[in-house]
Amino acid sequence: MTAAVQLQKKAQGDRPQYFDDPAIDKVLAIALALAGETAVMRDRMDTIERLLEAGQPVTRAAIDGYIPGEAVRVERDAWREEFLANVLRIVQQEREGLARAAGLDLRYDDAVALVES
Amino acid sequence: MTEIPNSIDTSLTAQLTHGILPQPTSDEFARQEFVKSLKYHLATQISPGNKEALAARAAPAFAKAKGHPPETMEDVRSAMRDEPYFTFWSALQRNSQEMMWKSVQIPVERQLPELISRARTIEDASGSLDLDPALPIPTYHRAVDIHCLPGGYHSEFTADDVANGACYDRAVYLYAMGRMGPLNSDIGDTTIAFIKERFPDFAPARILDLGCTVGHSTLPYCDAWPDAEVHGIDVGAPVLRYAHARAEALGKTVHFSQQNAEQTNFPDAHFDLIVSHILVHETSNKAVRKIMREAHRLLRPGGIVVHAETPPYRDLPAYDAFMLDWDTRNNNEPFWGASHGLKATDIAAETGFDPAHAFEAYQPSAFDAAQARRTAVFQGGDFGGAGAWWLWGVRKPA
Repeated sequence: MTAAVQLQKKAQGDRPQYFDDPAIDKVLAIALALAGETAVMRDRMDTIERLLEAGQPVTRAAIDGYIPGEAVRVERDAWREEFLANVLRIVQQEREGLARAAGLDLRYDDAVALVES
Repeated sequence: MTEIPNSIDTSLTAQLTHGILPQPTSDEFARQEFVKSLKYHLATQISPGNKEALAARAAPAFAKAKGHPPETMEDVRSAMRDEPYFTFWSALQRNSQEMMWKSVQIPVERQLPELISRARTIEDASGSLDLDPALPIPTYHRAVDIHCLPGGYHSEFTADDVANGACYDRAVYLYAMGRMGPLNSDIGDTTIAFIKERFPDFAPARILDLGCTVGHSTLPYCDAWPDAEVHGIDVGAPVLRYAHARAEALGKTVHFSQQNAEQTNFPDAHFDLIVSHILVHETSNKAVRKIMREAHRLLRPGGIVVHAETPPYRDLPAYDAFMLDWDTRNNNEPFWGASHGLKATDIAAETGFDPAHAFEAYQPSAFDAAQARRTAVFQGGDFGGAGAWWLWGVRKPA
């Protein structure tokens, strides 16, 4: 459904390019959008399960109108945190390597030099 | 199973529902919650890796090239310019900002006619709304859309538009990850706490909030000084229409008008207290001085002007200053960096005030609940996480 009034979608001002190949900027935006839509779908499934457990009618109106209270939000926050840790694992992995290197004051090249010396 | 769909939520972990706040469907709400989680994950799990990248890779490379480790903010910036971890985090952070606006635009677009109708038909308003369609929008607002809100505070997409007010109200909650409280009022509440501690006998009769947007920082002044007359001005009509509807829905009396803080139509010596909350960094070097000269005209003797912001870079370690400066180049905040070099005494002296009465101070966040999930640092992409605001201003001698 198209809304009667369309809002402006891009902010005025050049968008920074973060990677040498602009395609990488686009692919990252798409990947994050997909992660978001996956989380939306997961919350929708969670809603259906909770309505079923409560013996309430599982209609589209009931699902669309469901806004979680605090207890459910806390559970969903925890699920999303785990989900994001999984999705962004590759970044975390680099961070762990950096933390180790920062702690040892040793870079990988330094380690190679060390064992080769 | 005790969940009641669409129940009114008054917890400290949700934005307070009020009469003009757009109501999301469950999917729309989930999309917004994802952005909040993503931003929190970036602030707590990914962003701290930048310091490790500096220590492990960027600083040694800088030291090798320059003969000394990075010492200043400029050194850190130079060291981190091509650091791939920083680049990737920056790209993630920028995306989270764009996703935030998208997630709030979807329900606003869907409900816009209803929101406009509600804002048009306020009955028995105790406050007021005075718009000036001829008011020029400052160039520093038209040049780029600040913090990537498409259309900024001022663009109107239909008659009597409230869209960007509605987008902003919800986005501020997501941007701060709820850490400014259920009404997004932490900066106002914190500024009030500072004023009451610093000037215990001060009792303003008339208060002006500059660049008030949707009034989330303005409304606390109604409760802090119940007998005071509270005014809010902004250059953006959509945020003011929304602010008026929001204030009335929350039972607060505020007089909103569309004016530029650099030059208002209020009489001389009209106000006892003039405040702004994260306004200054969205202006310019010229504008902030004009705003202060105008404040000098508008304040009665003994009156006070206070601006709330994040800390100047000179107060921060080089790395923290570098991270706080991220917004300047990555979040459409062109004056962010330069505004973090302002000195209260300098500006006071330049704008007619006595610099001896200028002040700079840190005030702990008034919203200090555990639910605030502070990171306790000032850094880009972690707004409201530090648990304190930097306040500067000056008092006019009595």
